[in-house]
Amino acid sequence: MLNRREFMATSALAGAAVAAGCKAGSRTWYRFLSEHDVGSLTAICDQIIPADEFPSASQACVLTYIDLQLTRHYRRHQQAYLGGLEQANLLSRKEFGVELAAASPQQQFAIAQAVEKQNPRFFDLVRSHTMQGYYGSPRHGGNRDAVSWRMLGLDEPPVRGRAQYDFTAGRKP
Amino acid sequence: MRRFLFMGVIALCSLALLAVGGTYGANLYYATGHGTNCADCHEMADNVGVVHASRHRNAGCTDCHEASLATKLRHIRVHLTGSAPESIRLREADVQQMMGNCQKCHRQEYAGWHAGPHSATYSEIFANAAHNQKRRLMDDCFRCHGMYFDGAVRDVVQPQNTTGPWHLTRPKMADQATIPCQACHWIHREGSPETKPAERISVAGAAVHESVGFYDRREQMHFGAAMLTIPALYDGARVLKVSPDQRQALCYQCHAPRQPEAMSIAATNHWEPQAGSGDDRTPMGVHEGLSCLSCHNGHNESAQASCATCHPAMSHCGLQVEKMDTTFASKASQHNIHWVKCTDCHRHGVPQVKRSVMAAGQ
Repeated sequence: MLNRREFMATSALAGAAVAAGCKAGSRTWYRFLSEHDVGSLTAICDQIIPADEFPSASQACVLTYIDLQLTRHYRRHQQAYLGGLEQANLLSRKEFGVELAAASPQQQFAIAQAVEKQNPRFFDLVRSHTMQGYYGSPRHGGNRDAVSWRMLGLDEPPVRGRAQYDFTAGRKP
Repeated sequence: MRRFLFMGVIALCSLALLAVGGTYGANLYYATGHGTNCADCHEMADNVGVVHASRHRNAGCTDCHEASLATKLRHIRVHLTGSAPESIRLREADVQQMMGNCQKCHRQEYAGWHAGPHSATYSEIFANAAHNQKRRLMDDCFRCHGMYFDGAVRDVVQPQNTTGPWHLTRPKMADQATIPCQACHWIHREGSPETKPAERISVAGAAVHESVGFYDRREQMHFGAAMLTIPALYDGARVLKVSPDQRQALCYQCHAPRQPEAMSIAATNHWEPQAGSGDDRTPMGVHEGLSCLSCHNGHNESAQASCATCHPAMSHCGLQVEKMDTTFASKASQHNIHWVKCTDCHRHGVPQVKRSVMAAGQ
């Protein structure tokens, strides 16, 4: 059994350990992706849906969607993303001597095309997830402010009067 | 035995000290970081990020959010077990609790809301015999009443029929608000803190505050009033003139028209939706083109004394406008103030004598 001194010392150590654990590591507001990964993925996603009069993929929080889902339903794709992004950065360094995030939009487009040819599985995954994040429901993390729905002219939420179902229909008199 | 007792007391005291110290310590920790410390647990990072650009950027998390020991323990459990929901959102209990904190700063708005019909409680809405005898309750009711409630209508009121008598299944909900502040206010939304306007009267027209939005229960998020739809409406076969005031788009989410019955004249000719159908109150007749906010105060919904904004005290007919036979003067009137027309009283047209007086500008 612990004596009083040991009890107090253990409590203090436990508290310090919890505090240290909470602060460990660099602060990032993404759940799975590192800041470096986010920069690279932003470059690819924004080549798939670039900005025009409506926001680009990254501006519509597609990265938030992908990052969130990689910790949930798409956990199985984590390694594909890490490997694919590493490959994209390797290509960028080899071709242009810079990280993908630091490359010009034209260079990023060229890298995205190269990734599409060399690693179609990863590119299809990113393209598919970018579309989901951009056009899906905002509650899943992407499509910030339902921007794609407004782009498509959807009234969301629709103006509709209260439902007037006749619950007595089909009932025997 | 004494030794065990002594250790027990020490353990209890330590636990109590940890609880108190933990609660106040954590509050201090959260307060000093202005939210960024809350975001150390990544789940709420997005929420913290947006509030830093909101009207409430100068408020601390715990100024609005409850931060009891039980809540903190729940957050820790969720964090450690990785059971955080996909999107962090308020539960109804949080919303109800927060309203007291809203009241601390927004006293006048809260008092106005409390005095008006939008402060209707669960008891008033869901155990309303006059309503329930005419129409069965359904989950769609939650779209506008109790939008934060996590459950179905059968979880709120029983029996589910039109004969009653009805009772709330959770009596503690009886006095809870069904349209809380967060139904129409998007607290974390971008915006600038309120400042004294440079001009008392804006010539640019009514602004739509970014923080005003409709909480859509289905999507579990707010949609800003600026992006909501103002419907195109018909008055019979005629396209109705509807005010473009975007603020009233929020009203239309609940005070919405219905689609006409199939095979009706309106449906056959595509004159839909018709103004005044369902819960719609779009002004027709003499008030056509006015915004809801032209007459109704935003929080208590009162239209009292609003006539004087546009009218002289006496109408062209020589009657006091506030005492004319409309629902403004008496709810028993046959003439709804929203769509009263000249011809409701002047069935054969405006009298000649009045017309000549009007033409003379007298």
